[in-house]
Amino acid sequence: MTGILWIELVVGIIVSFTLLAIFIWGARQGQFEDSKKMMDGLLFDSPEDLQDAVEKEKRVKELKEKKKQEQDTETKKSEETK
Amino acid sequence: MSELVKCSHCHLEFDEKVMIKEPNTFQESSASSTPIHYFCCNGCQGVYHLLKSDGLDSFYDKVGNSKLAPPIQNESDSSSFDMESFKSRYIKTTEEGFSRVDLIIEGIHCAACIWLNEKVLGQMDGIVEATINFTNNKAKIVWDENSVKLSQIIDKIRMIGYNAYPFERTQSEIKATKKNRDYFLRMSIAIFASMNIMMIDVAKYTGFFTGMSDEMLRIVHMAEFIFATPVLFYSGWVFFRGAYYGLKNHVVNMDLLVSVGATLTYIYSLYVLFGGAGHSYFDSVAMIITFVLVGKYLEVIGKKDAVDTMDKIRSSIPLEATRVVDGIKTSIAIDKIEIGDILEVKNGEKASVDGIVTSGSSSFDESSISGESLPVIKKLDSKIYSGTLNVDKVIRYKAVKNYANSTLNHIVELLEDSLNSKPKIEQTTNELSKYFSVSILTVAFLTFLGWFIFGGLQEEISTFENALIIAISVIVIACPCALALATPIASLVGISWLSREGLLFKEAKYIETLAKADVMVFDKTGTLTSGKLSVISAKCEEFSTKQINLLYSLVDSSTHPVSLAVKKYLKNNYEELKYLELESIEQLPARGIQAIYEEQKLFGGKSDNTSDYTTFEFFINNEKIATFELEDSIKDGARQTIEYLKEQNIDVILCSGDNEKVVTKVSNELGIKNYYYSMTPIEKADFIKSLKEAGKTVVMAGDGVNDSLALSRADVSIAMGDGADISLDVSDVVVLNDKIDGVRKSFYIAKRTFGFIKQNLAISLIYNIITIPIAMAGYVIPLVAALSMSLSSLLVVGNSVRIKQKIK
Repeated sequence: MTGILWIELVVGIIVSFTLLAIFIWGARQGQFEDSKKMMDGLLFDSPEDLQDAVEKEKRVKELKEKKKQEQDTETKKSEETK
Repeated sequence: MSELVKCSHCHLEFDEKVMIKEPNTFQESSASSTPIHYFCCNGCQGVYHLLKSDGLDSFYDKVGNSKLAPPIQNESDSSSFDMESFKSRYIKTTEEGFSRVDLIIEGIHCAACIWLNEKVLGQMDGIVEATINFTNNKAKIVWDENSVKLSQIIDKIRMIGYNAYPFERTQSEIKATKKNRDYFLRMSIAIFASMNIMMIDVAKYTGFFTGMSDEMLRIVHMAEFIFATPVLFYSGWVFFRGAYYGLKNHVVNMDLLVSVGATLTYIYSLYVLFGGAGHSYFDSVAMIITFVLVGKYLEVIGKKDAVDTMDKIRSSIPLEATRVVDGIKTSIAIDKIEIGDILEVKNGEKASVDGIVTSGSSSFDESSISGESLPVIKKLDSKIYSGTLNVDKVIRYKAVKNYANSTLNHIVELLEDSLNSKPKIEQTTNELSKYFSVSILTVAFLTFLGWFIFGGLQEEISTFENALIIAISVIVIACPCALALATPIASLVGISWLSREGLLFKEAKYIETLAKADVMVFDKTGTLTSGKLSVISAKCEEFSTKQINLLYSLVDSSTHPVSLAVKKYLKNNYEELKYLELESIEQLPARGIQAIYEEQKLFGGKSDNTSDYTTFEFFINNEKIATFELEDSIKDGARQTIEYLKEQNIDVILCSGDNEKVVTKVSNELGIKNYYYSMTPIEKADFIKSLKEAGKTVVMAGDGVNDSLALSRADVSIAMGDGADISLDVSDVVVLNDKIDGVRKSFYIAKRTFGFIKQNLAISLIYNIITIPIAMAGYVIPLVAALSMSLSSLLVVGNSVRIKQKIK
């Protein structure tokens, strides 16, 4: 009987601390700083919004890559002039 | 009678006749689609079309029935956002080489507004990040300078009916955000662990009465140990730090009692867990830390709010002014303005420095200085104050002060000082806990010494161990659970009661201060009076139905407070008013309105420049038809509120920016003996300061921007709900329904709640007086300790529930 309880305790603690770790990760990202947005924003999540978010991620990724390329070219140019 | 219809964009209701009508050409699947769209203004119509064509019309589903403000019509040029001076001040470069700016977005009402702004900006090419904080309306925009310009981003925000101002992220803001996040994490972990411990407690205490094997008890204790450890060492770290700094400055504070109590309880419980006999108190450790930490977190939020408020105020200051030299206009930064410069202020712009009018005449909204909502006429040689808004036509004026010495900057600086240094009101619990901490620690130490020296030999454990356990049990039983609960539980009940009455207390500590107040200072306009004009007498002997309708149509075309009051009077006194189509409607600056109807010339307003806005005359073809006398009316319940305050031996004082005649009249009507008139915001604030220096506890109630400085100086400030954003931000209590009776209710509930806080403190002290000697004598067995601790907390909670009753 107590053996099962020990196992339950260990499993319960692992699960709850894993969830806590996810929460801490979210809090560190600043996800819970805007209490009003957090509460009301939940109502607005829709498949279209998620799709938009994915497309935006793609665009931002492209922008970042483009920017990196520009910076690399500039560094090369300045090295050549030196 | 005409029908009220909703604007399709902002949802505000207006007379159908004044609305812009448009057949619904959009294909809508929504059930709410109507054959005709109504718009209250061109701005709403423009935004509606833009959102529809961009496929963002789901915004209206998200808004639901909430009302928005009509879009802000911003005529100003956004090219200043691309200027080098702006870039060097506000734009930062990110590590990845993108540009970043921090903005405050004006016009945010609901989460749908946030959604719309983020969506619109997110769809723009070149935008890397656009996040808006709903709580403080601050936006972080990151973009690629090569793809899009900041002026284009600002134009987009303006196009959808909002406006944006830049602000500089100060060190204090970064620090406050960091601290806020840190405390939030500590508190969340404490709450998470405490909730788990509470569940385990159910098993533990049930086992107490029904029987539980030692092995089973060990599992329960082990689980509590695992959850309590992060609470004590991570969440409770702030108390150790507070206690350390307290001791360094020779102060024994609540932090010391909490940290010593919690640590010793923890050590004792560890001893029980790993070998010793008895009962562990890991649950007490977690509870004490969690309860006190929640209180601390609320304090941190309050400080963050103060920083956000300052950013909002600073962002509303104009960045540039138009200087005129030899007829040539140039934009200059406001800190570059020199005394003697000729400046131009257009309609809708704010004056940036103080000065004197040199050409033109216009009306200025001086509510930020005087609190009066009626515009003031400015003509040649009139004084212009910085921060006041030009509501009519272009004028030019000569600067008599530079920006640093001008009124607006002076007010902002004083407000910043008082927000940062707002005195913390010592709470009874803190005062009490200081003595309590010292006494308990001393008693525990003496108990230890007594048992160690005179305790004699024990059968199972050493004398030292026995003395230590008894000393710890003294601290554990005296653990400030009931004491820590005494104030928060009663305050919680009080605050929930207050909120049901439409009274928002930003922090619980203001209940105590309000209950102890000696002086109540009122502002006049918007607080004791409605701030809206109403007709008190009308001379319109020979008024035909047609003339009434002509006057109704004329005043309907203006939003000036005087026109609105006359319109309301007509609606209340005449039936079946009919709207007639007027032509050539023109607003005459500082005079009134004129229009043409079937070759008849109509004029409504005042016939000469000398009289003030309290008279309205109506002319048809230069023949006077009617005269109306207007007055700002006293709010319902104002007299009763003042009588109640006097009964409670509170001095009532009226401070107003209005003239002597009006203030004396209102004071006499309300029975206020102490009143002051023509006061500037700084004079009001100094007056509050002088009262406080005389040892008084001062409560101030106000509503306007002009009151914000005085409000921030008072011990407790009460803002009326219809007031300016800034005064709501700096105030401690908000009367949401704008009724003056809210002030009376606030005092009543605060006094009653404070009475119960005192009762609760007495209960917890009596509990300690009874139990501590028993613990010192070594008679406290675990079951008694557990029961008595819970009982004292239950007594305090039970007593607090009695607070609510019908307001007399």
